[in-house]
Amino acid sequence: MKDWIARLRGDLFRLRVRFFHKRFTAGPGLRIYRRFRFDGQGSVRIGRNCRIDGIRGDDSQYVCLDTLAPEALIVIGDNASLYAARIVAKYQVTMQDDCLIEESGIVDTDFHAIERGRQAPAGESKEACRISIGNRVCVGARSCILKGVTIGDDVVVAPGTIVSTSVRAGSFVRGNPGRCATSTEDRDGGE
Amino acid sequence: MRSHLDLLVAVLRGTWYVCFYRLFRRNVTIRFPFKAFARVRIEGPGSVFVDRNCAVHLNVFKGLSIVTLSPEARVRIGARCNLGGLTIRCRTHVSIGDRTMTAVSLVQDTLFLDEEKARENRVADRFPWAAPVAIGSNVWITMQGIVLGDTRIEDDSVLATGAVCCHYRALPYTLVSGNPAKRSLPISRVMHLVARR
Repeated sequence: MKDWIARLRGDLFRLRVRFFHKRFTAGPGLRIYRRFRFDGQGSVRIGRNCRIDGIRGDDSQYVCLDTLAPEALIVIGDNASLYAARIVAKYQVTMQDDCLIEESGIVDTDFHAIERGRQAPAGESKEACRISIGNRVCVGARSCILKGVTIGDDVVVAPGTIVSTSVRAGSFVRGNPGRCATSTEDRDGGE
Repeated sequence: MRSHLDLLVAVLRGTWYVCFYRLFRRNVTIRFPFKAFARVRIEGPGSVFVDRNCAVHLNVFKGLSIVTLSPEARVRIGARCNLGGLTIRCRTHVSIGDRTMTAVSLVQDTLFLDEEKARENRVADRFPWAAPVAIGSNVWITMQGIVLGDTRIEDDSVLATGAVCCHYRALPYTLVSGNPAKRSLPISRVMHLVARR
């Protein structure tokens, strides 16, 4: 029943954006289970059979897709599952197929410089800041993916990770700053 | 006067939660007395047990949220705990001892909540999927701590702000910090270093 309602919401949403939000395209099979917000004048493309949902047990979080400039682009591939994912693009955020993003933030800009004036950050450009996420990437809860990161295929990002540098395919990333680990085990803690 | 009123409201609200779960959710048991200063939300097919004299506080806009992800999941919270902004997501077994104190934090014994999607992406083939979490008595989990699977935090330990533990064993009475958490520091040594300043 929930799936049917979500599919209906997705179809109605696709109809709505076709007429009223020309820069937003969503593929067939979109399912919307919880609240979904998108904002800005940039372009957003969502692939086929995607799932937009919240986090179980927490109503305060939901999927947000924000574009901060008319040239900004968010591309989400086919069969993606977004659980309260927040994507903010000033330049470009692209995600390939079969991704799983849980309760995490993906931001391709720093918003402010670290100097006192807190002006717009210098040195940011599309080539330097765009975020590229490969196929079958799984991002755990309460993680952040920062600007300029390229994540390869089949990467697993552990919960609580801050990914600030690019990640090669097949890795397991954890920590702040995110570092590739060969396994999830870390046995030297206090023993 | 206001604090007495808040306490009264919390006890009444807690009693409501105790009665509600006993009547309508047989897999959830909360023992009386239970003080709810913030919202309590328990869902999922697994069993949840909260011992007597626990209190739920509002911390960074959150109360207590427990989600069990399978019928075999078991969550056990000891007596006289003060839980603020705690989120538990359990697939196997999460146990929290007596007199434990938490700020807004996450205890999650599994890498991902969407098991079906993660299995499609073959995560379970490559990495340990879910493992129990055991938190001892008189543990303090500070702000934005994350405790992941196969972790044991022994009695009287403190999890520093922003610490993330995964497959971790902490000795008793130690300070655990870092993301990922590495060696934990004995608190007696921390006190000694502070006294020497």
